[in-house]
Amino acid sequence: MTDNSLDVRALQFSGVISRLRRLDASMLLWLALIALLAFLVLNPVLRLIISSLQEIDSGRFTLANYRVAYGNVRHLQSLTNSLELGVGVALLATCFGVPIAWAISRTDMPGKAFVRLMVFAAFVTPPYLGAIGWILLAGPNSGWLNKVWMALTGAGHGIFNVYSMTGLILVIAVTSFPYTFVFTSSALDLVSSEMEDAANILGARTLRTTLRITLPLVTPAIIGGVIISFLEAIALFGAPALIALPARFNVVSTQLWQFFEYPVRVEEAAAYAMPLLAITVLMFWLQRSLLGRKGYTSVTGKGGERRMIALGAWRWVMLGYALFVCALSVFLPMLVLLQAAFAKAWGRGFSIDNLTFHNFYYLLVEQTQAKQTILNTFVYSGVTAFAAISLSLAIAYVVSRKLVPWSNVLAFLCVAPFVVPGIVLAIGFYAAYAPPPLALYGTATILILGFTTRFLPIAYTSSAAGLRSINPEMEEAVRILGGSRLLAIRKVLIPLLKKSLAGAWILVFIPATRELSSAIFLVGPNTRVISVMLFDLSEEGNFEVLSALGVILLIATVAIAGIGSKIIGRDFMLRRN
Amino acid sequence: MSRLKLSGLSKRYGGFLAVDGIDLELQNGEFVSLLGPSGCGKTTTLRMIAGFVDPSLGTIEMDGQVLSSPAGSVPPDRRQMSMIFQSYAIWPNMTVEQNVAFGLELRRIPNAEVKRRVGEMLEVVHMSHLADRYPAELSGGQQQRVALARSIVIRPSVLLLDEPLSNLDATLREEMRFEIRRLHDEFRVTTVYVTHDQAEAMVTSDRIAVMNHGRIEQVDHPRALYNKPKTRFVAGFIGRTNFIEGTSNGHEISFDGFALPRSAFERDVPSQGTVVFSVRPHSMRLSDVPPTVRDGCSSVGVTVVERAFLGEHWDYVVKPREGALTLKVTTSPLDDFPIGATAWLEFEPRQMASIA
Amino acid sequence: MFPVRRRNFILGSSALLAFGTGPKVLAQPAASMTPHEKELYDAAKKEGGELTWYTAHSDDITAQALGRSFESIYPGIKVNVLRTTAQVAYQRITQEIKASAVQCDVFSSTDLGHSVELKAKGAFEKYIPENASKVLDIYKGYDPAGYYFVTSAGMIGIGYNTAKVKQADAPKNWTDLLDPRWNNDIALGHPGFSGYVGTWALTLRNQYGWQFFEKLAKNNPRVGRSINDTVTMLNAGESAIAGCGPVGTLLESVQKGNPLAMVYPTDGTVLIIAPSSIMKGSKHLNAARLFMEFLMSAGASQIWVDHFNESIRPEILASKDAKSAKDLKIIRPTVAEITKGIPEVIKQWRETFGV
Repeated sequence: MTDNSLDVRALQFSGVISRLRRLDASMLLWLALIALLAFLVLNPVLRLIISSLQEIDSGRFTLANYRVAYGNVRHLQSLTNSLELGVGVALLATCFGVPIAWAISRTDMPGKAFVRLMVFAAFVTPPYLGAIGWILLAGPNSGWLNKVWMALTGAGHGIFNVYSMTGLILVIAVTSFPYTFVFTSSALDLVSSEMEDAANILGARTLRTTLRITLPLVTPAIIGGVIISFLEAIALFGAPALIALPARFNVVSTQLWQFFEYPVRVEEAAAYAMPLLAITVLMFWLQRSLLGRKGYTSVTGKGGERRMIALGAWRWVMLGYALFVCALSVFLPMLVLLQAAFAKAWGRGFSIDNLTFHNFYYLLVEQTQAKQTILNTFVYSGVTAFAAISLSLAIAYVVSRKLVPWSNVLAFLCVAPFVVPGIVLAIGFYAAYAPPPLALYGTATILILGFTTRFLPIAYTSSAAGLRSINPEMEEAVRILGGSRLLAIRKVLIPLLKKSLAGAWILVFIPATRELSSAIFLVGPNTRVISVMLFDLSEEGNFEVLSALGVILLIATVAIAGIGSKIIGRDFMLRRN
Repeated sequence: MSRLKLSGLSKRYGGFLAVDGIDLELQNGEFVSLLGPSGCGKTTTLRMIAGFVDPSLGTIEMDGQVLSSPAGSVPPDRRQMSMIFQSYAIWPNMTVEQNVAFGLELRRIPNAEVKRRVGEMLEVVHMSHLADRYPAELSGGQQQRVALARSIVIRPSVLLLDEPLSNLDATLREEMRFEIRRLHDEFRVTTVYVTHDQAEAMVTSDRIAVMNHGRIEQVDHPRALYNKPKTRFVAGFIGRTNFIEGTSNGHEISFDGFALPRSAFERDVPSQGTVVFSVRPHSMRLSDVPPTVRDGCSSVGVTVVERAFLGEHWDYVVKPREGALTLKVTTSPLDDFPIGATAWLEFEPRQMASIA
Repeated sequence: MFPVRRRNFILGSSALLAFGTGPKVLAQPAASMTPHEKELYDAAKKEGGELTWYTAHSDDITAQALGRSFESIYPGIKVNVLRTTAQVAYQRITQEIKASAVQCDVFSSTDLGHSVELKAKGAFEKYIPENASKVLDIYKGYDPAGYYFVTSAGMIGIGYNTAKVKQADAPKNWTDLLDPRWNNDIALGHPGFSGYVGTWALTLRNQYGWQFFEKLAKNNPRVGRSINDTVTMLNAGESAIAGCGPVGTLLESVQKGNPLAMVYPTDGTVLIIAPSSIMKGSKHLNAARLFMEFLMSAGASQIWVDHFNESIRPEILASKDAKSAKDLKIIRPTVAEITKGIPEVIKQWRETFGV
């Protein structure tokens, strides 16, 4: 009796030992990654929620913050303004992005390469820079468009007023429609023409087929685009600060800024920010329930050729529309920004004696911070991109190969930051890591950490997509020959994924260079980035220098992205040929 | 008047001639297959009939009216045809019922009528109980049926099918072959069926057009195609065969290692020159004793070189005692000849087809 | 990055290009340092030769000019100039204090209330500059304890765009701004951002009561952030009147060729007194002390005058195109009023103007 039980226990014990021995070194690596994820995502968000319930300075539990945050009518008004803004931008960005995506992906519209380039240019442009451009274009008395109108019609004042909710919606929509465009067009690229042919041969012509078959097939992508535009819009800080304030209304992000005036009231800010979080979660839940049982991808594998629909004379109409959108988002703002960048006094207009290089000279030579700021921006964005891609690739690997239990929780955590508007995330980071013991205030570290978390969802989605395309059997072949998992990753997986990773790198790098909403809370005097500097410059109305800095930002970003995509050899904006 | 007529139909892509002078006529209610290997032009031809592709040369007429010509074509949505695609192209965001109803709704048929006809059609394809399902919830065979129902419910003048069974497994394919033929018979729709699988074509079609390199090599009823292939390609593509070359000297045809009298052949075999014959493996008999001389048959002694047992029959490779020729022979499963054994091979010249 | 001499050359030539006329003071030979300054200078170099300056006292260009001048007088000490509006600077400094990670060495706000508050919290380092006794009397004695000193001053009047408004029609006094003819034509800053605007609003509240602003709101002014936004609006042609027009920025803009003009209201021009302090916890104490000396030096005042700000030294006079505080009727609030009043004014402003 006793002997038996001893034997049993000895067996169990040796079983545990042998299992521990079989623990691959990589397992420990995975656990470290998970801890990192908790640090980056869970902690700031939790700190935020906890802060909102804490009394200032004492830390006791209280609901007072919510009362202060929402007891004021103006604060509530800001919330509804944000919602209005979000919905408006989402709708407008969809109206811009979807038809162009359809035209490029499925029809024989001419000039596709040019339109794509313009969409990319819109993507690279930060919304606050676009806002400046539109202020120069559509300021009610001084904007160029209004001046032209007044000259043509002899009216006393112009008809466009950028300082309005409509103006703000337009300004943001023209820089966010690239998201709706990319989502929709990459989904449309996957729709087999046979879907359209089937409707065609049953008697449906092009428009009806498009509206009843083609577009409904990419509903998830369109809804994804709508949600992203909505979330972007309500989280933005720069463009609303420039346009909403003079228009005498506030949105949540500008209102949050006020909580950071002296004395800094992180707790009230956190309480005020909670609804933004709630709204975002609601959006994603809505998306899930809307899409439900219906499948959207083609069910069978074979037969997926995509042919362009011949539009006849209508292709010029589509091109006209695409160019109109490009004019609003790129041509017009760029034109005025360039004019201001090379002007002594932009208000004096286009004249030879108003031309100067001094603004660039001032920035690159005289202004002490500008050079450092420019360098900071690109270094931080680059490091962020590397960090985000590395982390997300590791997590995506763990999830897709199911290396730990509950790996789906990891995936959720990677994508969760999407749910937190940038400005709110920054507050969370500030609450969690700025003060002692970590005391990361004003360091490059906190900025990079904040950015990495902010862009982790994009990085993760790209990495996961890339991994999905690789057959696990590639690694299994290495392992059965005696190589470890890490070896398989190093020698097989990474080389295979190079192109897709490089594309993902750019997809993180570019938004990081233009990020303002989270940067504004996390920068210190030595870690300023271009976006914050532009914002500060806008405060003193130095549009000439500001435009010059904006031009530098745009040129450098486009150059880097251009070089990048040449290296990758394909359009990183997810185009399939 | 024929229902569908292709005259001198050609399609050129740059320097490449995909379809080269196709002439084909389909009578009303006829089921014709375009059979051939990948790249032979059959799908291009089908897409021209559908109107998705314009011909470079030639015309397509339906009921005497020109539908397609190099000068211009009626677009697909106005041809009153239907098509089943390789991928079925069932719209995944609509239910079975909605998919099938689509064509009817386009024709402005009142809702009650649409519901009735859809219901009937789903009965016919045995899918009524799945009317509310989405395609993602259906099996391959079921999706196939939905595609069929959707195409036939609008009573098209011509039904086109583009390799619809290539995604299914073997058993399902057999079942669906019959299903397609059954539906055709029930509704008597003029049908053009594209496939590379000869068994499919044989089971379903009234006539088969065998295509190669953009041309039709032979159009015939399945049995005629099998028994009397006109070209080497057709003989080799439909079923297995042996090609043997003989020289005619007036009396007899001499082959490598044996000879057969010219009179035994059914059709006129030239008195001079070389002739190539297609000899089906099952048209010869293998026996261990010299067969009695019968009218119209000749035999030759052979050695068994290889063999394989396939359950339903034996496959033998035999070699006549003289010469280097090898022949494939099929026998009943009971005829067991070990390798190296000698036997007698009996020819039936009536079943030997001479090809160009 | 650039060797000091070349920088001087570039600074000189570009200054000529950009600013045209006016005497320029660039380099004081090092030999003219007082012994005290020399002592500070040597100690500052040992500290690491760097200084971070948060300033809301002027626009970026003027601030940069001051920084460069200091660097040329005291080679080897780099000045990081961070120009923002007063409230933003204050926000940043308080964030730093709360995080116990103070990066700023010298803090220059345009809101005296900040200085009072921060001094009470013990955020400043005590230091009485040698030059403190050499400034004009009206700028002396604000903090005998020695934690903050006035290092700059500016004036606010009413500006207008001469292309849109004739001199005869331009407002002559603050109360003229309430005239309905200026509906939609007035540009203002925001006291929630700008110390200048906060003080201006407080002064006018003292003068006319808050009803003044309620009526002003009816004229639908365009509200920006910095007080310099008003000049931008005038330049752009977006507004015709700068309701709170900063004299320095406006006159500088006139010099660039813009069609603007300044009005010094009959009831009084608002004088802004702007203090500077050394931050406790600064890692460059000696550099900071040296900088305080510099800010109160004649050289600095010359730079102020060159950019149309006020001089705080009696020996440096205003340029001939500008008027100086001592030639005008001046109105301003007391320090006590500022400390209590500006937060009040910010609140009232938000209620009245909606943002």
